[in-house]
Amino acid sequence: MHTLYYLAAGPFAIAAFVLLAGGSLFRLVRMGLLARKKDPAVFDYMSARYGFRSLFHWLVPFGSRGMRLHPALTIASFLFHVCAIVAPVFLYAHVLLIDESWNIAWVHIPDGAADAMSLVVIAACVFFLVRRMKSPEVSYLSTWRDYAVLALVAAPFVTGLWSFHQFPGFRYAGIIHMLSGELLLASIPFTRLSHMIFFPITRAYMGSEFGAVRNARDW
Amino acid sequence: MKMKPKSILAFLALVLALLLAAGAVMSQEDVKSVNDPAFTSPTRPAPIFFHDAHNAKAGLDDCSVCHHVYEGGKKAEGASSEGQACSECHMKGKSTRPLIKAYHGMCRGCHEERKAGPVQCGECHSKRGPEALEGRGK
Ligand code: HEC
Ligand code: HEC
Ligand code: HEC
Ligand code: HEC
Ligand code: HEM
Ligand code: HEM
Repeated sequence: MHTLYYLAAGPFAIAAFVLLAGGSLFRLVRMGLLARKKDPAVFDYMSARYGFRSLFHWLVPFGSRGMRLHPALTIASFLFHVCAIVAPVFLYAHVLLIDESWNIAWVHIPDGAADAMSLVVIAACVFFLVRRMKSPEVSYLSTWRDYAVLALVAAPFVTGLWSFHQFPGFRYAGIIHMLSGELLLASIPFTRLSHMIFFPITRAYMGSEFGAVRNARDW
Repeated sequence: MKMKPKSILAFLALVLALLLAAGAVMSQEDVKSVNDPAFTSPTRPAPIFFHDAHNAKAGLDDCSVCHHVYEGGKKAEGASSEGQACSECHMKGKSTRPLIKAYHGMCRGCHEERKAGPVQCGECHSKRGPEALEGRGK
């Protein structure tokens, strides 16, 4: 038990952050090289104005046509993303641990707020899962990897909640939390979760292509 | 035999000293959790800490391991600061972060080093309070 804790708190945590940073950099550099080979014109017509215009429309709820067509999904997806990013980044426990390990500190949110956000994330994951299984056009396109990603994302939130509330077996939940959180961080660059790295770039690319080249909207 | 006033005074002083010492020991025995008044609005349950039982079990005879004194940036040998709360030295300004770091650094730090004792938040900041350990010989 102690040994597992020390592994999860020390080397595994560092490995997770290194894989996250290194993996993201690797994927970005590789994409840049690929773009230069296949579509070198990209670098000329990439436009800040059209790029940000497209990003803006895709970041604001109901700012794109797809979102207006699927209101329930849009709301769930929006709440999910806000909570999934804000809760872990500004959680008091995480901020304290990072401060204690590396002397870097930032503001935190009250534990009650983080708690509520975790519940929202878990509920949204259940919603995504049900949608994947029930909706024929989505389930047809889904592979086991889509389900795995959902489980990967939900795991740290379920175990974090468990550990925080000290439900029975919370010591194990705490260790599983650290391990599952590290697995999630490390897998971001190498799974579908890499969308958080590529989203701004693909949107800026599409925005520039549609705005500057085709004079059309892409949202 | 008639006692000299001087020795009566010495005797009284000795009794007083013993009483004071006993008082100090008694008050330590009362310590079941760490409850630094500097945390005016604590967010978590007070950490379990049976002062004397803890130190006996962990083999900590030297009070200055925790109640330390620093001189010129180095830990002073043979000096100790029991009676002073950690917050008297470890609160700089209004932020409690440095004080939290001091507590966690000392408590969790030693537990990690010795691979013994609680290391997870809920093990120290137990919702059940000191009762979580009571009944298992502390
Ligand atoms: C493991 C660290 C540790 C060691 C070793 C230790 N203490 Fe303490 N002691 C504490 C902490 C922490 C507090 C503060 C408790 C609080 O603020 O509620 C404390 C409080 C006290 C107090 C104040 C009690 C009160 O009622 O406020 C006295 C007196 C004291 N210790 C004496 C001693 C003596 C004497 C020794 C050596 C035999 C010793 N301590 C060893 C950690 C330690
Ligand atoms: C008389 C003042 C004083 C008291 C009381 C005091 N400390 Fe310290 N402490 C210091 C000084 C000075 C330093 C060294 C400078 C620094 O790191 O802030 C220090 C350093 C530390 C460190 C870092 C040690 C290291 O190896 O880096 C920790 C952790 C710590 N104290 C915890 C505590 C805890 C917990 C208590 C209460 C049980 C306590 N201190 C009581 C003055 C004090
Ligand atoms: C110098 C080392 C050291 C320091 C400092 C220290 N501890 Fe410990 N602690 C131990 C050891 C060793 C054990 C394991 C004792 C055992 O179970 O044999 C332990 C056990 C405990 C336990 C579990 C007791 C039990 O019976 O299961 C608690 C609770 C605890 N420590 C709280 C604290 C708190 C709170 C502080 C800071 C004020 C602290 N400790 C500082 C060494 C330390
Ligand atoms: C080894 C025991 C120990 C462990 C493990 C531990 N703490 Fe603490 N913590 C303390 C002590 C002792 C204090 C001082 C409490 C006091 O004086 O009231 C403290 C204080 C705090 C405080 C400031 C007081 C408050 O309630 O707001 C916070 C916040 C905190 N800890 C959070 C955490 C978190 C989050 C974790 C897990 C990552 C954690 N602690 C793990 C012993 C521990
Ligand atoms: C490096 C890996 C990680 C470590 C060491 C870690 C550690 C912790 C700790 C110590 C707690 C507090 C538990 C308690 O209060 O008892 C916690 C809570 C939490 N963690 Fe993590 N964590 C990690 C990664 C993650 C990740 C990647 C996420 C999500 C993306 C996450 C989400 C949460 C949430 C939401 C809570 C709080 C739950 C609640 O308060 O209801 N953690 N974590
Ligand atoms: C940089 C910020 C991020 C952006 C811009 C972003 C953007 C997107 C977009 C556009 C979608 C598809 C929209 C939809 O299905 O409704 C999506 C889906 C998804 N995102 Fe993100 N995302 C980000 C961060 C994250 C993070 C931090 C996580 C998890 C920790 C995450 C997990 C997911 C999951 C699991 C899905 C798929 C939901 C499903 O199964 O349908 N995203 N994201």
